[in-house]
Amino acid sequence: MKDLLFSIALLAYPRAFRVRFGNEMRDDFARSNRGLVPTLAKHVTNGFSERGSAFRRWAYFPNFTPHLYESTGSHFMFWDTLRADIRHTLRLAIKTPVFSTLTVLALALGIGATTAIFAVVNGVLLRSLPYRDDARLVNIWSYNTKENLPRNPISPANFLDFQKMNSTLDGLEGYFTFVTPTQMVTESGTEIAYSNFVTTGLFQMLGRTAAYGRTFTINENAPVVMLSDGYWRRRWGADPRIIGKTLALQGTPFQVIGVMPPDFVFPYPGMLGPSGFTRITGIDLWLPITFSGPGAAANRMLDTRGQIVRNVHWWGAIGRMKTGVAAQQVEADMKTIAAQLEQAYPATNKGWSATAVASIDQSVGTIRPALMILLAGIAFVLVMASVNVANLLLARSIAREKELATRAALGAGRSRLARQLLTESILFALAGGAVGLVVMFWTLRGLIAMAPSSLPRINEVGVDWRVLLAAGLTTILTGVLVGVLPALSSASVNPQATLQDASRGTVGGSLRRRARAALVVVEVALAVAITTGAVLLLRSFVSVTNIDPGFETTKLLTWQMNIPVHLTSNADRLAFYRDFFARMEALPGVVSVGGTTRVPLGSTSVSTTVQIEGRPVPAAELPEVQFRRAMHNYFPAMGIPIRRGRNFDPNDGPNAPSVAVINDTMARKLFPNEDPIGKHVRTGPNPNQPWTTIVGVIGDVRHGGLEEVPQPEIYINYLQGAPVSPFIVVRTVADPAGLAETVRAEVRRIDKNLPIYEMRTMSAMRSETMSTRRFILLIVGAFGALALGLAGIGVYGVMSLIVSERTREVGVRLALGAEPSQLLTMIVGQAAKLAAIGVAIGMAVSLPMAPLLDSQLYGISSFDPLTFITVPIALLTIATMAALFPARNAMKIDPLAALRID
Amino acid sequence: MDKFRPESFLPLTPVAFEILLALADGERHGYSILQEVDTRSGGAVSLHAGTLYRALARLLESDLIEELRQSPDPNSDDERRRYYRLTTRGVAVAKAEVGRLEGQLAAARTRRLLKGRA
Repeated sequence: MKDLLFSIALLAYPRAFRVRFGNEMRDDFARSNRGLVPTLAKHVTNGFSERGSAFRRWAYFPNFTPHLYESTGSHFMFWDTLRADIRHTLRLAIKTPVFSTLTVLALALGIGATTAIFAVVNGVLLRSLPYRDDARLVNIWSYNTKENLPRNPISPANFLDFQKMNSTLDGLEGYFTFVTPTQMVTESGTEIAYSNFVTTGLFQMLGRTAAYGRTFTINENAPVVMLSDGYWRRRWGADPRIIGKTLALQGTPFQVIGVMPPDFVFPYPGMLGPSGFTRITGIDLWLPITFSGPGAAANRMLDTRGQIVRNVHWWGAIGRMKTGVAAQQVEADMKTIAAQLEQAYPATNKGWSATAVASIDQSVGTIRPALMILLAGIAFVLVMASVNVANLLLARSIAREKELATRAALGAGRSRLARQLLTESILFALAGGAVGLVVMFWTLRGLIAMAPSSLPRINEVGVDWRVLLAAGLTTILTGVLVGVLPALSSASVNPQATLQDASRGTVGGSLRRRARAALVVVEVALAVAITTGAVLLLRSFVSVTNIDPGFETTKLLTWQMNIPVHLTSNADRLAFYRDFFARMEALPGVVSVGGTTRVPLGSTSVSTTVQIEGRPVPAAELPEVQFRRAMHNYFPAMGIPIRRGRNFDPNDGPNAPSVAVINDTMARKLFPNEDPIGKHVRTGPNPNQPWTTIVGVIGDVRHGGLEEVPQPEIYINYLQGAPVSPFIVVRTVADPAGLAETVRAEVRRIDKNLPIYEMRTMSAMRSETMSTRRFILLIVGAFGALALGLAGIGVYGVMSLIVSERTREVGVRLALGAEPSQLLTMIVGQAAKLAAIGVAIGMAVSLPMAPLLDSQLYGISSFDPLTFITVPIALLTIATMAALFPARNAMKIDPLAALRID
Repeated sequence: MDKFRPESFLPLTPVAFEILLALADGERHGYSILQEVDTRSGGAVSLHAGTLYRALARLLESDLIEELRQSPDPNSDDERRRYYRLTTRGVAVAKAEVGRLEGQLAAARTRRLLKGRA
């Protein structure tokens, strides 16, 4: 054992030094009675510094080095061999500039693209979140077991109990699971800032401090606000004197106390939970959550009896796990607390458990499968590019057979020859890697520019040590991958046979011929796998594009606005809206106008419980439905069909009996065998609220996204409860974007301080919901195209080589009377045979791998027959076509000339 | 070949000088050099084997010491042992180093850093 350790320690020394002094040192070691560990450690440091001095000596006086340790004999050191090989490679490379450039470029593209994709994966998935010790952070959700929604927001009262009662967390903090467009009045008018409400301990728990000023104190009671770096630069010109100034937010003065550093992000869109579907990705302001005073009232934190709300769920929670605690333990802890709360507050908490999710998963978990697909795809492409380069090198090694045979005859061992060839391919890879870095920077820039802003953390993607390490490893690996086949096949060269044969032109050894066949097979197989993935994604994309969202997305302009703060009564607000809608409808080019509190494809959801008259159900078991208000001509403007009953009309005013419209899904689920029209329902848990009559049923609308299954929805009329920050929709005669300026001008005329924002066409919003899918498809599609091209080039290259090698044979055949068409069949047939094997292997690989794509597929199964029939046919066709060119060349061979070679 | 100038090797590293000192009274093998240095300094200087052989390599390369082809002691405990001895160049360099050190000692005495006559 001791000896083994010693031998290992000795490896630190240069080999020649070991040969010269190793035995003596071993002997001394056996006699020595010093401490084992320090002695070995000293040997290791000595060894490496000896390597250092030997290398310095070699670098300055290369020609003396052979005598460094041995005065009599001479030995070649590692560095000498390397130097000789490098010189040889460079000389060869300069002699064949086209070959060298092509090889380096192919490798550079492969390595560069791979590293760029890895950089995205690294920035999004691997880099730590901008919080201290982020691996210990965990998001806590309420688990709605009735509806099976494991990541439902928490109610504030439950949050406080989780905070107090848990035993596994070093701090739990809360935030609102939505972004609030906050009205801010400045000298230049009213504008909107996007804010998020957080509990006061959040920043401390996350372990972050302000770049300027301070963060909230734990008992922050004064109205204060913190700015994000982006907002501070964009809106306030990065003026540090902003600290201490006052911002008028929603009519209340808030004092600015701090600006967060540029890398700080909170919350990530993923942390907004399932309802957090929002286009707004950046937060401008953080406001403290208070549990008393006007702030608490404004946030509807207290119920009618002044208690903190327990039945409405709109909070997110993030906590820091105690050291050594796992997320599962936290979840068990939270479930126990939730069970206790269920006992204590059955009316509100029945059916509510809890979930804990690591914060990194919460932030980027949804995009992980897509990015892993990209990484796998690019790895396949890289292997294909390497295979092509390996084929080039293999072809060249034939041309060099005489050289290698001569070397072998002069005494070079197999390992020496293999090492030389491997050095060559690694040198090519290194050059490729260096150029690949440039390719990576370009590709990365393109990827970031192309990436949808909804891709989480895309702004955090950059080049760090991990990316550089990956580039280095990819380069070395590619070098070995590319070099190993030529090295093996050339190292086994038989000098005698080759040198004798040399005068008569060479024929590749059987090993090499098999190696080349293997390359074609591998290439076709990989191309099948990549193309299958790309086609599956393409077919899914088409399916998603064809989804009917339930309303007309064309010729629709939408925006959000906040009505003036001074309109506090329902009557005042309705007067404002009456005037507003009338003036909007009067604009030229407007067909109809409406509004809602939650616009499809572009906002969050809010749900409520409903009680149906005549169906007594305990409060905790009431069904949950999506809740929205319809304003003015909302359904006609959107193109949502009325299936039964009627639309709201102006007679359903504030003093009329309250009425509601529900969607098909709600009608089907809650009134399966009866007519919902005329039924009475009550929203919310309050038993004293009057009944609402259902007057109509509308078609289903895809609300959260095109791929999301419609949920039960109930709409009430805005006249019976006017909203303050509605989404307005305008149906236009022509291109809706053209109307944007007219609308803005008209709104300014109504009230110059009326902030309108997020104005866009519904077609753009529809397109945005598909942006991540489009991004992934674009990249994988590019991989697929590349794979087909590489496969074609690969087959072409190999078949050309085979033809040129068999020139003599072909000549003989032609001379003996073979028909040129027979030759064509022979060569194309050979290519087709190899391609068929490749296709078979590719299918065998793709079939079990296809389900990995499931998360990205829509409307088709991962065993989509159309895909699995077309892709193989396409590849067989490409392989056959690629073989046609060399086959035609073979047909043109002049038998006389072929036989006269050499 | 250039004329041999012992001064060009000065100052010697402490390890190199220790080795030359140890070899001054005859040929020794590596381990014996280690022991000699250890005994002479009363355990104060303790050479590590790796340090020793790296220094030996340098001294061999500079021809200050040479390796014996045969073991001087037929009853040697280990035939694998290699013995080293000073070359004439080595002796000259060691003397030059002693002279250099002597000069420094003399200077130290005049400045009363060291007891003894100036």
